[in-house]
Amino acid sequence: MMLHGDQWPNMTSREEFRFLSELVLTRSSADHTMIRVHDRHAGTTRFANNQVIQNVDGRCGNVAVTVSFGGRQGTASTTDFTAGAIQETLSRAERIAKITPVDPEYLPPPGPCSFPARDTAKPETMTAGAPRRLEYANEAIGQCRMENLMAAGTVSSSTAVVGVAANTGLFGYERRGEASFSLTVQAGEATGWSAATHRSINHLKVQERTLAAISQAKRSRDVCELPTGRYPVILEPAAVAGLWAWLIRSLDAKSYLKRTSAFAGRLEQAIVDRRITLQNSPDHVDLLGEGFSADGLPSTPSRWIDHGVLRQLAYDRFTAKQQGVTTIPTLEALELSLEGSPVDSIHDLVKQTERAILVTNFWYIRPVNLRDLMLTGMTRDGTFLVENGEIVSAVKNFRFHESPLDVFQHVDLWTAPMEAVNSETRKVLVPAVALPQFHFTSVTRF
Amino acid sequence: MSSPTWDEFAELALKRIVASGAEYGDIRIQDSRTQHIEGEDRRIASIRDAKDIGFGVRVLYHGAWGFAASSVLSLEEVPRVADLAVEIAKGSASIALEKVRLAEEPIHRDRVITPCRINPFTVPLEKKSDLLLSAMEAMHRQTGIVRSSASLWARRDTKVFVSTEGSRIEWDLLTGQGECTATALHEGRFASRSFGTPHLRKGYELIEEADLLREGSRVATQAIEKVEAPVVDAGAFDLVLDPEHLSLTIHESCGHPSELDRALGYEANYAGTSFLTPEKLGSFRYGSRHVNLVADNTEQETLAATGYDDDGVACQQWDIIRHGIFVGYCTNREVAPKIGESRSRGSNRADGWGSVPIVRIANIGLEPGTATVDQLIADVKRGIYIEGHGSYSIDQRRYNFQFGGDAFWLIENGRRIHMLRDVIYHGVTPEFWNSCDGVADRSTRRRYGFITCGKGQPGQSGWMTHAASSARFRRVEVIRGEGHR
Repeated sequence: MMLHGDQWPNMTSREEFRFLSELVLTRSSADHTMIRVHDRHAGTTRFANNQVIQNVDGRCGNVAVTVSFGGRQGTASTTDFTAGAIQETLSRAERIAKITPVDPEYLPPPGPCSFPARDTAKPETMTAGAPRRLEYANEAIGQCRMENLMAAGTVSSSTAVVGVAANTGLFGYERRGEASFSLTVQAGEATGWSAATHRSINHLKVQERTLAAISQAKRSRDVCELPTGRYPVILEPAAVAGLWAWLIRSLDAKSYLKRTSAFAGRLEQAIVDRRITLQNSPDHVDLLGEGFSADGLPSTPSRWIDHGVLRQLAYDRFTAKQQGVTTIPTLEALELSLEGSPVDSIHDLVKQTERAILVTNFWYIRPVNLRDLMLTGMTRDGTFLVENGEIVSAVKNFRFHESPLDVFQHVDLWTAPMEAVNSETRKVLVPAVALPQFHFTSVTRF
Repeated sequence: MSSPTWDEFAELALKRIVASGAEYGDIRIQDSRTQHIEGEDRRIASIRDAKDIGFGVRVLYHGAWGFAASSVLSLEEVPRVADLAVEIAKGSASIALEKVRLAEEPIHRDRVITPCRINPFTVPLEKKSDLLLSAMEAMHRQTGIVRSSASLWARRDTKVFVSTEGSRIEWDLLTGQGECTATALHEGRFASRSFGTPHLRKGYELIEEADLLREGSRVATQAIEKVEAPVVDAGAFDLVLDPEHLSLTIHESCGHPSELDRALGYEANYAGTSFLTPEKLGSFRYGSRHVNLVADNTEQETLAATGYDDDGVACQQWDIIRHGIFVGYCTNREVAPKIGESRSRGSNRADGWGSVPIVRIANIGLEPGTATVDQLIADVKRGIYIEGHGSYSIDQRRYNFQFGGDAFWLIENGRRIHMLRDVIYHGVTPEFWNSCDGVADRSTRRRYGFITCGKGQPGQSGWMTHAASSARFRRVEVIRGEGHR
């Protein structure tokens, strides 16, 4: 069976985007005009109960036009790329802008910039198509069936074309590709889980991850209940990423300046363990770094937390200008690391631990209080008791109440940064860590 | 030459599906327009007007699904996408263990239109911007308010669904909403209070009836009171929950567990499964006798009341919980037969042309009781009255939950005394609903819509409405929602 593969659909090329943007820019009567194109082709094979339940493939193009007249701005967008629809979208944006109140925070689009060329589109991902996704899904299902276990998961691949242009001379065009695999293995009531995302579909390591999830599900079968309280913990990378995601989302500079942020007054101060560094590494081969942001700004390597000290905030362009920040840092390819000697693996973290709760992943993490970044959430798909360097039992899932700003004040042991993907964060590289204290506040029924 | 009509596109797709030998297929063509005006700190931060047109083709071949979609609506693209959907379905069929069997549904040929007095897209933008600026100004008139936001949102969906079985349904649906939030600062602490109209399928009259200026002023006053309020002392409290707060509790602890696809394991890798497993149907005590939770996708103005779902099944009303016993699921044509039901409940919805429809929570509401809210409060010695949405989190089988709220008042000896801050309560779903000993009457019933209910892979945003009257729950565990620093 031969699918259309790379023949379908024809994504917007650089030349087509240049033509489209020049069409809009020359026809616009506004002071400033900016055009953004996002054209995406993506597919997902989804399975549950050891069979495919959903198999989808779709292409969606979107063009958005923002115009301004004397600081009055409006944005209109469409998924219809015909000449008439593009003209109508420009006219709609102009109509909106002419009657919008002047925005005191308005800034013209950025000027021309030579964006870094990054390896964001891998040919093997671009041409993968439904047969490759099905092959991977079948592999995971087959492994689980052999063990008499149930598999539920997804294999996805996507290609996107992103373009940004303005009458200031700004022009950026980039192809981006991404593939992902996630799997939950059910052994009766017990579950194990694994997930991966990579620019290259060849790097998903489906077999290896399936075996890891199977092993975890089997180990989760005999579950005991532990009382609530404060425990030392070993957090696997997905769990660490879940906690840090909320810290990262709270780095907004405007909230900081208005004192409605957990970080108010703490810039250039130590906020976590002095050995922790958080940086954006868009050139890292295992991360999803991009050439430019949706605002038309270059994606940059930058340090956000340097040896525990908060060095950087997330600026919108107006706040950056107001504060004299010339280069706005980006946050799309994050790497968290600890200085010092890491242990080799999660297995080694366990071996060196006298007693702790090992957490594979958290689920439904939400802020309880944004003032101190107190979060809640549940453990999921693998929670274990570690004693004397060994996993001795699975334990029932806990709810926790903790602030990453508290629990990362001191890290006992850690690994080198590893891939972390969970249901609510994009891919990041973070270590697995052993923390001295973590507050579990209730226990659930399974 | 005139452009092809949507019916011509549909005919083209269905011909390819039928010729392929597939046993079922449908096409949805949808044109959506969304307008979103956002104000922040006394300025209009953005006005965005989005048009989104495209189509999705779904095919069942030898008992397995395939779906393909495109934003290019043309004579070349429609057959290509239909063929791709067939090819994908064939791929799925090649490793299928169990064939999908669809529950029977009569053929429907109908048109559904949202009744509306004022089309929100004809209301001048100047008028809308002025309203938001005035609402933010009203909030900032209160000393201590450091941040404000206000927004208006409207969407119109025109859509057609045509299936190989002969159904043809056309929709012209409107939805709107408006909201505002004030944030107060006091002694280095901040707190927010919000007002939002429900998301409803009605015109701009929804906004005009709401009075954002008055509500903006009220929430600003309450934000200041909230930030200065004493923190709650942890312990067991009786709770009286308002309809807006209950809408979220119902959504998380009843809506999601009653989705049959979850109970059957379809969402095991992401949204989770359900403690309401099929063997419990008809016997499991979910709540006290006061708890009657009814699914109603026929109530006018509510989000899931679209006449038909994206399976082409007519919207219905049915019981989920009757006198505290679990008696019904939300289903689609695929999963209904798996529990022996001959007809789908009509809860299969996609969030747009590019998404495949999946089982979605119906409009589930708590049936009114007989008391007044004052009577519910009068019988509380030590309790908390909670309004609105705050922090929320629940485990993947929907047992262990935690909720906050937007505003909290201490109740002592049957009277609301003063505001509290940082109130969080937690519990286990059936124990919580079994602690319900009173529901207020129909006069306090309110409806709240959800448009960001996340489910599915790739993720989709589901739409539904949850209605409730205020209700009382005895001895619920309350903790302080603040950290140690």
